[in-house]
Amino acid sequence: MIDLIIAQVFNGLVLGMIYVLLAMGLSIVWGMMDIINFAHGLFFALGAYLAFTVAAWSGSFFVCLLVVPLATAAIGMLLEVSLLRRLYGQNILYQILMTYGIAIAGRELIVLLYGPVGKSFDQPDLLTGVISIAGIFFPIYRVFVFAVTILLTMGMWFVIEKTRWGSIIRAGTENLKMVSCLGINISGVLTLTFGVAMAIAGLSGVLAAPMRGIEPFMGDLILGICFATVVIGGMGSFTGAVAGGLIVGLSQSLITLVMPSASVIIIFIVMAAILLIRPRGLMGIRD
Amino acid sequence: MSTGEKTSMLAALWCENRPIVVLAALFIVFPFVLPYTALANEIMLFALAAVAFDLCLGYSGVMMFCQASFFGVAVYATALTLLHLTSNIFAAIAVGVISASAIAVVVGFMATQRSGSYSVLLTLAFAEMIYFIAFQWSSLTGGDNGLTGIKRPNLEIFGFPSISLQSSLSYYFFSLIFFIFAFYLIRRITLSPFGKVLMAIRENEQRAQAIGYNTRLYKVAVFVIGGAFMGLAGALYCMYICFAHIHYVHFEISGNIVMMVLTGGMGTLFGPVVGAFIIVLASDLASALWDRWMIVMGILYILFVLFARGGIWGFYEKLLRTWKTQKRKSPLSKEAAASS
Repeated sequence: MIDLIIAQVFNGLVLGMIYVLLAMGLSIVWGMMDIINFAHGLFFALGAYLAFTVAAWSGSFFVCLLVVPLATAAIGMLLEVSLLRRLYGQNILYQILMTYGIAIAGRELIVLLYGPVGKSFDQPDLLTGVISIAGIFFPIYRVFVFAVTILLTMGMWFVIEKTRWGSIIRAGTENLKMVSCLGINISGVLTLTFGVAMAIAGLSGVLAAPMRGIEPFMGDLILGICFATVVIGGMGSFTGAVAGGLIVGLSQSLITLVMPSASVIIIFIVMAAILLIRPRGLMGIRD
Repeated sequence: MSTGEKTSMLAALWCENRPIVVLAALFIVFPFVLPYTALANEIMLFALAAVAFDLCLGYSGVMMFCQASFFGVAVYATALTLLHLTSNIFAAIAVGVISASAIAVVVGFMATQRSGSYSVLLTLAFAEMIYFIAFQWSSLTGGDNGLTGIKRPNLEIFGFPSISLQSSLSYYFFSLIFFIFAFYLIRRITLSPFGKVLMAIRENEQRAQAIGYNTRLYKVAVFVIGGAFMGLAGALYCMYICFAHIHYVHFEISGNIVMMVLTGGMGTLFGPVVGAFIIVLASDLASALWDRWMIVMGILYILFVLFARGGIWGFYEKLLRTWKTQKRKSPLSKEAAASS
């Protein structure tokens, strides 16, 4: 039983780290541009499907890890420049409708190109198999995903806390107009930020694909979970996204031990409980 | 009371409610003009939900993205009542409306704790919660298969012979009565002192607070009123389609309702009806033509947000205003020209 719990805790951490990456992007975009990005789930799905194509074409999973985030970043930046930029400062409902329109058009495009039925995604040969530590088996691929996501999260933390661009992001989350008054080219920063968020979303799609397979509606499900994650963690907070993601991942994988059918509902129960105690989320900094 | 006073009162009543009479006349004609009655019914019920949301967004500035929860919970509640409890049509509608309002109390209470985009995100998260509960609690909701075998009850009022509602046309006119009455109520709310407070909150919440209004209470009230009318739309929809499915609590419904209000023009009440007409008709046409019609809808969303933010009714009112001012100006300018 203890073995099982430890294995599930590990699974929960891996799952949670994927949520962390997605929630981080959602939270940064929200904090900087005040946009609730409904297309975030689309980019997750897009990452997985692009990985499917690139892997078939190049034969290597590791090429995907490099190429796909660049591709999703490029698509994201294109969208920001052509569409989202026109909506800054508008009513939030317009932004939701716009990003939602992008999300459904993109999802249907995926169905059109790849078919409505899901596909399986093979694990890379190099990473198949299990490691046994003290009698408990850990799949190598999950260990790999855990390592990559931890590194990426630490990298993002370093960028946000220690670099000039990061300080612009933090300042922009507080007050974007003021930052622009200080003589910083906001529109370039926003485009880049959106691109990076979409790159991370695409990369988490690539990482998740071998664990769960790919299907056109994968983005919809994950988007709902990400909203809950951001609400739990609190808006515009990096540590909040990390805490929220891990809480969601862990509660989801631990509840499957007792009651597998409640694996999604538990997220929202946790969310409601946290909101009752702390309406602004765990680490929320402002309205 | 003299007959003169009576006629003047009638005239005032007519003046006040003329738009509603026109609306009713339009909806009486619809089922005979549109390709099939079901389409008219769908337009009407979504128009009702859209008008209810317009009361929230356009008049009170209360933003939310959980319309589908109110609508869909009422669909489920009505379906379950008809399946397990009673076949009384009014009881079924009442259960639908009450359960939607109950959800609205909870969501409204939570969402109004915060403001701006955070509040919208809270309503979204609650909508997702209700969606997943409906999805996973399949013993109650039928999960992805939905609830089938719902029988549309007949209209039975005590002491009167029962009226059959089985044909789509008779059910259409039955729900039309509800639609017109609900529209009348919502319009009265916007014209009442309560409605003026809502508009004050929309314009400047802090000032409304400073005057002494408990704005949060008003906002929760708006959630509940809006939720109740969206619930009414859901309850009537359930008996129209005789089916309950998780699609009706899905975000797509919320998105459509918001789209209807914004396309039509928010804060106009009549605009959302036009918006519902356009959106339902467009999706009906597109879905008949192409399996992947959602692409078209997605692109429509994007194009609308880019180019038509004011809404159709707003455009129409602007046109009307310029036309009126021109008409008023023109004799003056003639006089001015004559005198000079």
